[in-house]
Amino acid sequence: MKLSLLHQILFFTLGSCLLFTILVFSILWSIQAVDITLKREKYAHKVEDRTNILKQFILSEDIYSSNYNTNNWLTLENKFDNLLQLAPNLTPQQQTIQNSIVSQNKSVQRLFNAINENKLKNANQAIKKHLKIRLITQLEAIRTDSIQLSTIANEDIQSVIKNQIIFVLLVLILIILALVYGAFRLTTVFKTSLNEVKKAFKDNHSGNFQNIHFSNHTEEFESIANAFNAMNKKLSVTTVSLESMKKIVHERTCKLEQLSNTDPLTQVANRRALFERGNAEFSRIQRSKNELTIILLDCDLFKDINDEFGHVFGDKVLKHLSEICTKEIRNIDFFARYGGEEFIIILPDSDLNGAIETAKRIQQSLTDQRLKFEDKDVPLTVSMGISTVTSKHENFEQLIKDADIAMYKAKTNGRNRIEIADETNTIIKKA
Amino acid sequence: MPSLWHQKHYPVTIAVSKTPLSSPFYIAKAINAFDKTCVDVEYIAVNGGIAAFEKVMSGEVDFGTSSDSAIAFQSLTHHNFVTHTMFSQSDNDIKLITRSSDQIKSVRDLKGKKVGVIKKSASEYLLSTLLAIEGLTIADVDLHYYTPELLLQSLRDLEVDAIIPWEPYAFQASKLLGNKITTHNTKNLSTLSFNLISLTPNNLLVEKAVCIIKGLQIAINYIASHPQKSKKIVINQLNLDPSFIDWVWPDYIFKLGLNQSLILNLQSQASWAIDTHTTEYSAPPKSEKFIDTRALLQVEPGAVNLMH
Repeated sequence: MKLSLLHQILFFTLGSCLLFTILVFSILWSIQAVDITLKREKYAHKVEDRTNILKQFILSEDIYSSNYNTNNWLTLENKFDNLLQLAPNLTPQQQTIQNSIVSQNKSVQRLFNAINENKLKNANQAIKKHLKIRLITQLEAIRTDSIQLSTIANEDIQSVIKNQIIFVLLVLILIILALVYGAFRLTTVFKTSLNEVKKAFKDNHSGNFQNIHFSNHTEEFESIANAFNAMNKKLSVTTVSLESMKKIVHERTCKLEQLSNTDPLTQVANRRALFERGNAEFSRIQRSKNELTIILLDCDLFKDINDEFGHVFGDKVLKHLSEICTKEIRNIDFFARYGGEEFIIILPDSDLNGAIETAKRIQQSLTDQRLKFEDKDVPLTVSMGISTVTSKHENFEQLIKDADIAMYKAKTNGRNRIEIADETNTIIKKA
Repeated sequence: MPSLWHQKHYPVTIAVSKTPLSSPFYIAKAINAFDKTCVDVEYIAVNGGIAAFEKVMSGEVDFGTSSDSAIAFQSLTHHNFVTHTMFSQSDNDIKLITRSSDQIKSVRDLKGKKVGVIKKSASEYLLSTLLAIEGLTIADVDLHYYTPELLLQSLRDLEVDAIIPWEPYAFQASKLLGNKITTHNTKNLSTLSFNLISLTPNNLLVEKAVCIIKGLQIAINYIASHPQKSKKIVINQLNLDPSFIDWVWPDYIFKLGLNQSLILNLQSQASWAIDTHTTEYSAPPKSEKFIDTRALLQVEPGAVNLMH
């Protein structure tokens, strides 16, 4: 059963009140029980005292005297009779003795009255003595009974006090246990539920939008859970976590970076990427003293191709050239569109011979893989200028400039050629 | 290990007088009160305390139930027995019955009449007490001795003018003869107690007596707590007329005890017996000799009240 916390506290308080009421009643009951036993003991003593008085009376008085006045005896007997009638509530064992006392007192009264009816005028002394002894015997029997009653009452007092103390202690222990359990239970509900709320907020902070599930079901905390879970549901839909945002930004940045470094037509590195990489490589060889060579390619008669076959085919030519160059260069080489129909290949750790080899492979590939326009072969050649870093180069741009000069030489010298820039910007080799 | 858990049980035989005064014994057996004690009891039913006494003295049984009168009279001739506890008493067990037609109004009117009694018993003792109160003696009446069973017949046959029977004969007389007889009010003028007796005991017999008394104590507390159930048990066990139990039960007191009044009762009855039967008995022995308090002191010390 799901109970509200308020109800639980209310029940706990009412339960505590009830338990304390039980404790108070059990103490009152115990006092009552002890009081009854004390009354019994007091009664037993009174019976004994009264019997002693009666016995003393019989022993001291001459009951056979002709002028003997029975008033004193009757007063005493009446008092004793009244006492017996006012006996407190007795235990079965005590009641047995009480019955015996009452019965024997009747015997005493009966015998005394019988004796006094005629004062035993005709009886001899032996009979008189005998009947007097009999009276005393009866009173003695009452006295011994009252002593027994008193003994039982005394034992009863001890046993009742002991039992009542045990009973009250047991009730007290039960009450303490119940209170401790109740308090512990309530504290646990509070503590556990609050910890669960705390954990839920913590999870929320980390972007983990989990619902709260309470171990202890209470109306109040359930309402908090419902509100929290509803809020979480909305947040989980509308909120992007920091991590996923970083990932998206990174992906977008990479994409943009790629876009900014790529030539949209040929899908090879663009001029910006070229200079970035070229400057980096240039700086690197400044430290490592390795070699760095570049090839600058220019598509021969590209204007004529455009004019003759159209710009679409011109674009196709540039794409074809890019594919061949990309295929023919090494993994560590870098191929980029320099501008228009001009391309540059950066060849790190490569001397002039290596660059010439690459250039020749490109020339060969272009020859082998010809483009067709309406089933007609369209010859494609490139003029290439090669320059390698020397002591005179201060930056990457100067290296390009030399390669450019060499490439123009190749154009000037009849196209489809490879020219190498020398230290004084003169062609040192033709291919 | 059963020996640790089961107390040793001594087989014990008890001669129990077939009277409701022996009720604690019958109830003890019916409620299995002896199961928790050290004895396995077997009852031998007898008619009257004298028969029980004889069985004890002959060694036929270990214990017996006997009236104080029987003990008082037997103490004059036997010295090797004791009473361990009194367990029941009645102040109206013996009654004076006369024929209604004889117009005997009081004991005083018995002077010169034929009175049937049971010889050397509480019956004869009550008569002497009643006569003494009226200033008469045994010599003033014509005494006739009968067995308990024949007393009523003697009244019917006009052999006597009055009889002094004990129960259940007084009840039988009342039931059979109704208005033809008068039962005189002698309540409270005599007390008859029933006691547990045995031969002078050794320690083992005292131990057995302790166990029997424990059973009797349980039974007596049961009677105090469940009087109606107790009456039913006695009616069934003794096969009695329920109206008889209703007739005698109010006069009964069931309790354990060894007190001075018992000694005084024994002494006065013994003295009376010597006075009235001087030819048979000599001086009365000390009644204390016939009281053994050891067993009762172990069970209910408060019930022992003897002057030393």
